[in-house]
Amino acid sequence: MTSSPVDPSALAEARRSHFVALFTALAVGLHAVDVLLPSPLPWFRLGLANILTLVALFLYGDRAAWTVTLGRIGIGSLLLGRLFSPGFFLSFSGGVCAVMLMCGVRRFFPRLFGPIGISLLGAVGHVSGQLLIAWLLLVRHPDLWRLYPWLLLAALVSGLLNGFVADRVLEILRRHPAFAEEQG
Amino acid sequence: MRRVLTLLGLLVAALLLRQLLFPASYDVRRSQILLGTVVEIDLHGADASRLEAAVSEAFAEIARIEALMSPINPSSDVARLNMTTAPLAVHPETASVIAFGAELAQKSGGAFDLGLGRIKALWALESETPHHATAEELAPLLRDLGPGDVSLTDIGMAQRAPAVAVDLGGIAKGYAVDRAVAVLSRAGEVWGSVNAGGDIGFVGSRPDRLWRIGIQHPRQAGEVLATLSLEGGAVVTSGDYERFVEIEGERYHHLFDPSTGEPARRCQTVTVVADGAMLADVLATALFVLGPEKGFPLVESYHASALLVTVDGAVHTSPTLSGVTWP
Amino acid sequence: MAVSALWRRMTLGDRLLLFVLLALILITLPVTRSQGKGARLLVEQDGAVLYAAPLTASGRWRFQGPLGESEIEVAHGGARIVSSPCPHKLCIALGRIAHPGELIACVPNHLLLRIEGESASSHDLITR
Repeated sequence: MTSSPVDPSALAEARRSHFVALFTALAVGLHAVDVLLPSPLPWFRLGLANILTLVALFLYGDRAAWTVTLGRIGIGSLLLGRLFSPGFFLSFSGGVCAVMLMCGVRRFFPRLFGPIGISLLGAVGHVSGQLLIAWLLLVRHPDLWRLYPWLLLAALVSGLLNGFVADRVLEILRRHPAFAEEQG
Repeated sequence: MRRVLTLLGLLVAALLLRQLLFPASYDVRRSQILLGTVVEIDLHGADASRLEAAVSEAFAEIARIEALMSPINPSSDVARLNMTTAPLAVHPETASVIAFGAELAQKSGGAFDLGLGRIKALWALESETPHHATAEELAPLLRDLGPGDVSLTDIGMAQRAPAVAVDLGGIAKGYAVDRAVAVLSRAGEVWGSVNAGGDIGFVGSRPDRLWRIGIQHPRQAGEVLATLSLEGGAVVTSGDYERFVEIEGERYHHLFDPSTGEPARRCQTVTVVADGAMLADVLATALFVLGPEKGFPLVESYHASALLVTVDGAVHTSPTLSGVTWP
Repeated sequence: MAVSALWRRMTLGDRLLLFVLLALILITLPVTRSQGKGARLLVEQDGAVLYAAPLTASGRWRFQGPLGESEIEVAHGGARIVSSPCPHKLCIALGRIAHPGELIACVPNHLLLRIEGESASSHDLITR
């Protein structure tokens, strides 16, 4: 059968790419909110955009998660004028580490963790990646690692929050017919 | 697999770009005993091996100047000058230091003097057996002292008056710091400092903020009297507390008043901020002898500024001194 | 209420992970408090390093200088010169150093004791 508008697999594919694009756009928006939100500590961010990465990961898998994250970082830093600034590299390495950890764990232990656990892993990956890059490129001082426990604590808080929200969102989305046949 | 490779490639490209835009910074910090004190050099820059080479070269430069101007080294210009009363051909750098010192001797009305060698030797404050010089002993040594006692002839030879011995103590250290700063500056995009026992010269300015320099409190060891915020240049302190001996309860320090041959009595400590360390060094010595009323106009005439503590403990600052904070 | 909603949504793996993370943070948190005591003592002579060790390594050491042997003592996180062949014994009078950036110099015997480490001082340098 040739491809036609009613071809169910082509339709599903089109729907997927539309939603991934939408998630990316929402992630950029949340990222902007996150950056602009007043923060008690200069390095503390909630990482709200990770909610969309989690949703994409649970609905559509690895590839969608990468697209949302990398798209969000690229477009987000363009919009906020931080492309290739030190903050961008921290954000980039944090994002890459987070998605690697989330996708990797989900691939090898698909049933063990729910969105909240994966979210925690993502947050831990994010702060670890950032600290590693900061140590490699900005301040090669062992005292930098003293920050790690505090960053982990922050990751724990934001990971729980984002995971909770993502779980709720996934629950609602799965009830909707547009996502009825998606995995997860 | 291809996606992983692409990502890795992206990461490497990003890292390379980062290195280009924000080069890594290294810090080389070394100290060595030279000029009768501890010389500390601290240099920051992007190229570690170049920093190391520059710091070594700067220490070698200071050692070279010490060899030219130390009164102890028998082959130095200063030692040779003290062995003859005839005009003597000296190294052009020694000549330029003497020329500058002679100018300041003139401008300070004799408060700064290049010919204090015999006075210092008589007191022998740094030896094992310091000696309280009497007026009778000092009188013949004071005879030739004063502006012009050490000078350059028309053809640039150095000459001293018969009754004096040349001592470049209040000037050579500053000159050495200036030379070390010049050597370090040649290493490209660097910043740092040269600290020769409290005579400080800056290599460029700090990229993040102003330099914060504490002035040692003259009577409370380890305490800071005030803090100077400086962009660059040099800062030198002369104090009566660094090298002194007590003879019968009286404090005798190494900063002599050329008019009496005795340790100068007006000040406890003097700090001068100037463009160069040699200028600051000489001005600090002169100001220590002159005191604030006569000394500040001299300091101002060289576009320098100063902070001093008089013998009664009162703090004075010259009108142009800025960036002082008190603890 | 919100906590129990959160708890209910977590899988067994999620809960385990949360506990592991919490434990990790609790174990490592004390590390953040120990401040700047990673200082090292350096003993140098004419630009060459004769001795370099953490200030926590207590003991007495002798170093040969042009005038003879100087003895240094490292104890209770500080260092001082206890005997020196130099004429004025100024280096002994300088007492004890314990903080990064501090130094004792024995100019006659060409010996330099210096503490290396991140300085907590609010000044870059001191002019004296």
